[in-house]
Amino acid sequence: MLIELDDIAREYVVGGELVRALAGVTVHIEKGEWVAIIGQSGSGKSTLMNVIGCLDTPTRGTYRLNGHDVSRLSDDALADIRNREIGFIFQNFQLLPRETALANVELPLVYRGEKAKVRRARAIEALQKVKLDNRMLHKPTELSGGQRQRVAIARALAAEPSLLLADEPTGNLDSATGEEIVKLFEELHQQGHTIVLVTHEPKLAARCPRAVRLSDGLVVGDGPGEQVAFGGLRP
Amino acid sequence: MSWRVDLVEGASIAVRSLSAHRLRTLLTTVGVGIGVATLLAILGITQGLDSSFEKQLATLGSTSVYVSKQPWVQMGNWWEFRNRKNLTRAHVEAVRAQCSLCETVTPMVDDNADVAFLGVELPAVVISGASEEWPRVTGFEVSRGRFFTQSDDDNRGLVAVLGADVADTLFPDVNPVGQSIRVGKKPFTVVGTLARKGKLLDSSQDLRVVIPFRTFTSFFAGRRSYTIGIAVKNPDQLEAVEDQLVGILRRARQTPPDKPDDFAINRPEQLASTYQQLTGALYGVALGIGFITLLVGGIGIMNIMLVSVRERTREIGVRRALGARKRTIIVQFMLEAIVVSAVGGALGTVVGLGGAKVLSLVTPLAATVKPLTVVFGVLFAALVGLLFGIWPAARAANLDPVEALRQE
Repeated sequence: MLIELDDIAREYVVGGELVRALAGVTVHIEKGEWVAIIGQSGSGKSTLMNVIGCLDTPTRGTYRLNGHDVSRLSDDALADIRNREIGFIFQNFQLLPRETALANVELPLVYRGEKAKVRRARAIEALQKVKLDNRMLHKPTELSGGQRQRVAIARALAAEPSLLLADEPTGNLDSATGEEIVKLFEELHQQGHTIVLVTHEPKLAARCPRAVRLSDGLVVGDGPGEQVAFGGLRP
Repeated sequence: MSWRVDLVEGASIAVRSLSAHRLRTLLTTVGVGIGVATLLAILGITQGLDSSFEKQLATLGSTSVYVSKQPWVQMGNWWEFRNRKNLTRAHVEAVRAQCSLCETVTPMVDDNADVAFLGVELPAVVISGASEEWPRVTGFEVSRGRFFTQSDDDNRGLVAVLGADVADTLFPDVNPVGQSIRVGKKPFTVVGTLARKGKLLDSSQDLRVVIPFRTFTSFFAGRRSYTIGIAVKNPDQLEAVEDQLVGILRRARQTPPDKPDDFAINRPEQLASTYQQLTGALYGVALGIGFITLLVGGIGIMNIMLVSVRERTREIGVRRALGARKRTIIVQFMLEAIVVSAVGGALGTVVGLGGAKVLSLVTPLAATVKPLTVVFGVLFAALVGLLFGIWPAARAANLDPVEALRQE
């Protein structure tokens, strides 16, 4: 089991008021699965993504990633886990604008302390996987939206993480380009990568073998993507 | 992750970020540079003044004391000093006869007169009247000819010894010894010249003519108070000498026991300590200004770093998401601040030292700079960067990655 989320709750205090973003979420994800997390805005899916991505820690419950409890770790330890275990893919790509595609892809390896030579070789490899090895030395501003997202995916792949964590990866792309990216995810899934994809689009969730629907911080559906996306299957 | 990675990566990010904002970097650098330049110029001039003053003081001789009616450094009631009884020939003789710790004693008295040789006239030259012991007390050396003798003094001989400036001006080509000059309206025979001594507090000690004491008193009328110049046998006994002199002079001057001394025993070190008191405050103010300038530069750095942190909030979020620790972010921003200020410090050092040098060339102020000062300048600037970089860097590192990524 790669991800074991048990009774995860996350509460914030905003302006003196308690906001319950997650109210006890239990989700288990196997290695090699491709799971969509779907929900309206405010359903808690972003918070769940932050917890899964070790950017945030739950106020209650346990989160075991690759068998290790990561729900109560120090800031530094979380940074190291993000570096090794998680490959982030964001809606707005989150590339460093002043760096080349290659340097962007190298970044997680920099923080892992890899030597420059190793970094370069693995970054090139990752860019080849997303078919961007011909634009390696371009800066993000010189690339199209689809190309930028492929750089971001390459960056996630370069670190060889256990989990690819994508947040609305097609949200800023036109439908044709979005389709390319979804196809790329399908390929990655077939190659055995574990993918968690957060989205509010039922159409995208329906493409995933499995989907988890959140509403008001609770799981309200978990099952085959198509059914959960359009039907709302009870767990 | 190791410190090595933090430092190497942080430095390269810092340099790239700085070169991406050239104008901003330049302006920030200039801010620190001006601070360091001000500080170094002040330090340079201070050190220069101090060392030149030390050299000047050394010319007074550290084994001599000078008794006169008024202290060299007067604080307070000048009228009281003025109204004191004159020091007379009798007082000189009392010291000469009774002071067992004194090696040589000479009366000293000065006036001004024009000095001329053939057509050349030097106005308002210091005319010193003294006994033959004068060179021993004052440390002047005879460079040509001889000093006058006891019998010159006894006979009120019309003989003169010329200070270096007088000798050089009146006799640029000729050996002055044996020549006849005019002092005031009287003809004098030059018997010797003095070696150059230099300036004391910006007035030449070499623009003088020394004549026998009795000759002086017979030409320059008026009741004068003399200075008693004394060379001490043992420089370690200056305190004892002072005590002895106080006793001798109070007796000779019949100072009532309930009254304070009505004369002053002057020593060159007193001048030094007064000088330090006076200039110390001045340097304090100047250094304060330098520090304030540097502080302003530091605040400039802090300001620009805060802007930089704000601008790059998302970048920080990305780096944190990809596995940068807080420490890594801190190092990155600190290095940026330190690099800017160290470069500013280096520039400021060049400008400051250059400025001090130029100042010493175009004004009489001397400027010397110890090599350590340069190191100090750069290090100090880096320290300023460190200090003023801490807060922005900590702010950057403490950003919540989730929030930071959400930033537009």
